[in-house]
Amino acid sequence: MSDTIAPVARAGAKGTYFDWKSWLFWLIMAIWSIPLLWLMSMSVRYNEDILTVFEIIPSRISFRGYIEFFSEPQWYGALINSLTYTTMNMVLSVAVALPAAYAFSRFTFSGDKHLFFWLLTNRMAPAAVFLLPFFQMYQALGLFDTTYAVALAHMLFNVPLAVWILEGFMSGVPRQLDEMAEIDGYSFPRFFLTVFVPMIRAGIGVTAFFAFMFSWVELLIAKTLTGPQAMPLAVQMSTTSTAAGLDWALLSAAGVIAIIPGVIVIWFVRNYIAKGFALGRV
Amino acid sequence: MSTRTVRKRTQYVVALSAVTTLALSACAGATGGGGDTGSTDSGIETAEGTVEERAEQYIDQYFADSVLTKEEQMEELMWFVEAAEPYAGMDVSVLSENIPTHAYESEVLAAVFSDLTGINLTHSLMGEGEVMEIISTEIQTRTSVYDGYVNDTDSIGGHQRGDYIYPISTLLESSPTLPTLDIDDFIGLSFGTGSDGVIYQLPDQQFANLYWFRYDWFSDPDIQQQFEDIYGYPLGVPVNWSAYEDIAVFFSTQVNGDGTIDGEEVFGHMDYGAKHFSLGWRFTDAWLSMAGNGDTVFDPETGERTPNGIPVDEWGIRVENCSPVGSSVERGGDTNAPASVYAVEKYLEWFDYAPPGAQNLNFDESAPVVGEGNVAQQMFWYTVFTRATIDSPAMSDENGDPVWRMAPSPHGAYWQEGHKLGYQDAGSWTFMNHADEEKRDAAWLYAQFATSKTVDLAKSIQGLTFARDTTINSDWFTENAGDYGGLVEFYRSPDRVNWTPTGTNVPDYPSMSAEWWQAIGSAAAGEITAQEAMDQLATKQDEIMERLERAGVHDECGVKLNEPRDAQYWLDQPGAPYPALADEKGTPETVPYDELVAGWFEGNSYLD
Repeated sequence: MSDTIAPVARAGAKGTYFDWKSWLFWLIMAIWSIPLLWLMSMSVRYNEDILTVFEIIPSRISFRGYIEFFSEPQWYGALINSLTYTTMNMVLSVAVALPAAYAFSRFTFSGDKHLFFWLLTNRMAPAAVFLLPFFQMYQALGLFDTTYAVALAHMLFNVPLAVWILEGFMSGVPRQLDEMAEIDGYSFPRFFLTVFVPMIRAGIGVTAFFAFMFSWVELLIAKTLTGPQAMPLAVQMSTTSTAAGLDWALLSAAGVIAIIPGVIVIWFVRNYIAKGFALGRV
Repeated sequence: MSTRTVRKRTQYVVALSAVTTLALSACAGATGGGGDTGSTDSGIETAEGTVEERAEQYIDQYFADSVLTKEEQMEELMWFVEAAEPYAGMDVSVLSENIPTHAYESEVLAAVFSDLTGINLTHSLMGEGEVMEIISTEIQTRTSVYDGYVNDTDSIGGHQRGDYIYPISTLLESSPTLPTLDIDDFIGLSFGTGSDGVIYQLPDQQFANLYWFRYDWFSDPDIQQQFEDIYGYPLGVPVNWSAYEDIAVFFSTQVNGDGTIDGEEVFGHMDYGAKHFSLGWRFTDAWLSMAGNGDTVFDPETGERTPNGIPVDEWGIRVENCSPVGSSVERGGDTNAPASVYAVEKYLEWFDYAPPGAQNLNFDESAPVVGEGNVAQQMFWYTVFTRATIDSPAMSDENGDPVWRMAPSPHGAYWQEGHKLGYQDAGSWTFMNHADEEKRDAAWLYAQFATSKTVDLAKSIQGLTFARDTTINSDWFTENAGDYGGLVEFYRSPDRVNWTPTGTNVPDYPSMSAEWWQAIGSAAAGEITAQEAMDQLATKQDEIMERLERAGVHDECGVKLNEPRDAQYWLDQPGAPYPALADEKGTPETVPYDELVAGWFEGNSYLD
């Protein structure tokens, strides 16, 4: 937000300036922040207050939700489970998509366009379609109720997206570069890892971000492929719904904690996000 | 940020991710799963010493309140220690919904059991919807997710017709069984028993739907006088819907001239109506039978009529020789008969007297509302809320006694003796045919431990969901009955048998119950009328049964649909479906609460 170049409008007779763009920006920000601030406020309030008193600033503060979260193994264990399969999925998806995207970007082979499109169609099917086949397949492989199962299953959705984004970035790098490297005596792996990959690191950052986000918020597959051992955070959060009402404070505390990894990831890739949304196809 | 720092940062992130992944994978490899969220000892203070010493410490610390003597408790615990030897070291997991009773089992009983037997037992908790989903997945795929479940007995009709349940009857004969389990002591044993006499599920915790009201307001002489001046009969526990409606109107609009008490606005009714799967429970849990649809069962020996209709049950499904033959009136059922339409219409009408927004709440969200202190009565209140209501500060007087009471729910215009007065069910231990045999036996041991007389009284004090007769009649609950707002009196009364669960007529509970909330949710949202909703529901139930019949999945007692014929033919037959009444309001009737409870305590029915 830059105040210096925003056009100003005259307001009032005294000649004070009313910077309406700034005001609009902050107004929109305020409206967008309400749910988030509400969640944070709920996470430090008492359950009975949440249900009975309408207040924006809590009158009494209790950190019970957070204390319970970090003292009960099923809660922090679920957080670790979610982080584990999300990270695994992110690393695997990018690792698999890099060579595939390079092939799509640099070579023409019969059916390449169709294959590229077919990859994307995997993302078009609702996750629910795959539930039963996945469940039985991972049971048969003995991977059911492990974090590997979720990480692998999420690759079905993340690899096509990763290939698509990376292909755009790679096609933005002139082909002459590959040829020059070859003339300079670089072996292909050395060229790929030391020259080419650093050139598209913005693309890799963005890809990792999208892969992380999908895997972090996906609930259906994560729920179906796990049992008591690898229970993800989102499923553990559903246990706060009891026959005696919801445990709002604990649920909100878990919600606040669940937002943090996303915030950290965004902070690292925030400079690439704008580029990423153009998907390298500028 | 310069490119250099970006590069550095990116390298850090990549390195960090890689290291974390490797480290976590290593842990995962070590535990055979993700981070180990297995059973923990965080719920209890682990005892020290030999097994006998530890058992004794646990009895003193957790199970001091018991119907058994300490010697008998020790005997039971040592039996478990011995019986569990072949399974020591196994990882066994069971799943149940999340209510205080199961939370106690998960925290305390599972940890004590694991410590004494060496079986590593995890008792996981989830929302009721999630539990149902996982059980359905197991049934569809015949693959084991958990080694045992605690689940309500609604699905009994499907369990007895399918071949996927490993019956309790078989476990009792062929697996290690506690000699002092005393199976006849379980008050809800019939709920999990099929029409073939086989016990499929063993009760763990039992609950009912009752009428809930503000005893302090109802016994206020000034309010009593006001009510009698307007309606001409005394304010008390409503026996029928007609009186319930009068009381709802009175508190919402007339008390103290404007529907307020101490200057605060109050409401004469509470309910929920969001288009959400939990709305189904509101109806499939006996609502139509309370209105008076379905048949009753006549016992020629005692001359008494009891619920769970033969041939037509509370869902309106007609059964002939244990085979379901139809749900719509045209096929002899009464899901869309006048009595059930009346039941839904009343439910919708009464939202006028409920707190604003009640219609947009789901089951979980509506649970704590009466505890906030501005609702006079609720027709359909689950006893699982007892613990939360006792703990609510607005719900006790200056002496710490409850200001509310529970009483039998009133019944509708079509009701006759022998129809349900409410719903009662038991979350019951359920085991699968395709489960790992050894793990299932180990889970069966835990199920017996969690329901044993050694722990049952201590568990019931925590959760207030009685499953055993000895616990209900224990000295402890005789002395403390006053703290529970009529719960103990209800469980000791002879009328309790008029509260029953879904019967064996329903051939496929999960798929059929899902139709209820969608049809009635549309009516609650004002999109269709009650008659249209019930017509739609009856058609859907017939379609599902038609599919079951075609698929031929059930050998015995499978569906054999009737050919549709003129509805009038069925209405003219004796029993359900009944023709429409000219007067659906009827004469209002109330009973004084204190007399009713005194009668219950002496073992008399309030209906005589």
